[in-house]
Amino acid sequence: MSDEWPEAHGEASQRVEETLPPQDEKPVAQSASSAGEDEAVQNNEAQPADPQEANDVLRHTLESERPAISEQTLADAAVLATSRRRTRRAFVGFGAAAAAAYSFRRYLKDAPFDQMIPGLLHKNYAWNADVSREILRDHALAPTYPRSKAKTLRVNGVFGLKKQLKPESYRLQIVGARDAERSPFYVRDVTAWQYEYEVGTSPEDQGHDTKTDPSKMSSTKMAPDGMQQKTEEDENRTGRKPRGLEEAGESHSTLLPGTPGLLLQLEDFLPRLQRHELVLQFKCIEGWSQIVQWAGVRFADFLEMFPPAPIDGKEPRYVYMETPDGDYYVGYDLDNLRHPQALLVTEMMGAPLTQFHGAPLRLYTPTKYGYKQIKRIGLVAYTNEKPDDYWTRLGYDWYAGL
Amino acid sequence: MNSEAAVSAMREPDRANTTAAQPQPMAASIRLERKHPLAIRWMHWVNFPVLFTMIWSGILIYWNDSDNAYRYPHRVYRIGLGKITVFRFFPDWFYKWLHVPYHVTMGLSYHFFFMWIFAINGVAWVLYTWLSGEWRLILPQRRSLRDAIQVTLVDLHLRKGLPSQTKYNGAQRIAYTSCALMGALMLLTGLAIYKPTQLHLLTSLFGGYEMARWIHFWTTMGLLGFFLVHIVQVVLAGWNNFRAMVSGYEVQRVEAASAEAERRSWQ
Repeated sequence: MSDEWPEAHGEASQRVEETLPPQDEKPVAQSASSAGEDEAVQNNEAQPADPQEANDVLRHTLESERPAISEQTLADAAVLATSRRRTRRAFVGFGAAAAAAYSFRRYLKDAPFDQMIPGLLHKNYAWNADVSREILRDHALAPTYPRSKAKTLRVNGVFGLKKQLKPESYRLQIVGARDAERSPFYVRDVTAWQYEYEVGTSPEDQGHDTKTDPSKMSSTKMAPDGMQQKTEEDENRTGRKPRGLEEAGESHSTLLPGTPGLLLQLEDFLPRLQRHELVLQFKCIEGWSQIVQWAGVRFADFLEMFPPAPIDGKEPRYVYMETPDGDYYVGYDLDNLRHPQALLVTEMMGAPLTQFHGAPLRLYTPTKYGYKQIKRIGLVAYTNEKPDDYWTRLGYDWYAGL
Repeated sequence: MNSEAAVSAMREPDRANTTAAQPQPMAASIRLERKHPLAIRWMHWVNFPVLFTMIWSGILIYWNDSDNAYRYPHRVYRIGLGKITVFRFFPDWFYKWLHVPYHVTMGLSYHFFFMWIFAINGVAWVLYTWLSGEWRLILPQRRSLRDAIQVTLVDLHLRKGLPSQTKYNGAQRIAYTSCALMGALMLLTGLAIYKPTQLHLLTSLFGGYEMARWIHFWTTMGLLGFFLVHIVQVVLAGWNNFRAMVSGYEVQRVEAASAEAERRSWQ
């Protein structure tokens, strides 16, 4: 790198002494005049009324310090004085900017957290989502792959699936559908349905999820301050305990008892919808990805069959889904689920879904990360309130759009 | 560049901060050279905390995948060939030492915030260097590669005699331009990873999702490599050079080639 003048002052003076004979006094005074004014400005003193006075003062001091002085030395000194002044000013500015950057860092660390991440960064997630919705619109289709590249998906997270559901006790609850009262599947309280579970554990591999610290695998340790209490209050409010027994606790969006809606068996709607097969790349927020073959029906077709009831004259903005036990829950933009590759999945890799892959019905959409691909869907609710989301409560992005 | 014009320009008093009432003396053997414009200095220093945050949060995110490396043999980055692995990114002791494990949500939230500052700063830099003409001082020239080899040999004390230069020598031109290209590559691969469905054409351009991640990772390593050499060179170059990146001005001998004179010759 190009530093050719590290000790400019010293060298300059030295060279002056070696090579130049002392000069007349008059040019010295002239030269000093500018340096003197410079000095005065630098020290922030009032400009003297008569420049001649300043010159006299300067000539006096300079002469007393260095009797045989050259024009060049003085000129160099003036350059260095200017440099010092600029350097001081620049470093003050630099220091102020560094202090501002440091304060911002402190602010991020110390300001209130929202859903386990700094509040500002949580807002930024919403901003990023808005930018994405506006610019990208989630319209693009994901690339598809040959079936030969697909493999059985790795199990990574079994919240809401740990107990083996008795297949005959499965029902899909739909809340907020248009003209629900006139449907043959209408019930006055969908929450009254009792799901039944087998005794014993599944032989299936539970996988190894690294998103949560194993030493903190309990809601009391994992939950942020106040959330545990809030969860308990919510449980008292809904009276539906025990729901939400995993780290994130109970969903704020879980239904209150007495919520009317539709209660469906798979045979009530699946045979009437066209079956689709897709080979797509599944992406986990942890970083890994895998190509998987899915089969099921389009969520868009499901929405045609069970359209949402308008809220305030408009289509509701969100869809909320949760597992039958309420342990896992995810919120979506309704628009997003109209993506032609968003599937309600019943088969993976040519075989019916297994317990830990979300039997009997799960979601897969290539516009979202894996943690948004809810398994074992018990409830589909149309709503205008932004739904709660399991991993968002633990610090992940709600939108998670790919 | 017109050399006569440059020489006479060099003799001109420094115009940036001098009023008519305060002419700089003509006889000085040194002068203040306006080396780095204010905008360049801001953009340079903004990069320092922002890139630090991006790389740090990137490690927090990357850990989440590498933790699975031993159970799920997918592409986790390493130095090695075939079955021989020399180094795996990163060993357990490294993660534990830096308290990396289980901070992935912090990593993600910081990464997706500071990405904006990094992108805006980078785009601003490109626009500024382009519109101001500063790119002429940074982009490699035909002679830059030869100069760079010579400069490197001189730096390693293998040869004497630096080639002539104005603001940057050939090695610097190549290094700084590749640094900017790496920054652009970080942004583009980052986008390809961030929106692999909506921007799948971009993702495919990088060879797919996993490949885009691989490039993202190794470009980071490239930036870190640049950073290390940069720090060493700045320390070796000394205070006058470092100060110029803060104040903008470097003290030079009057006879040294002037970047400011070259800037004037563009107009």
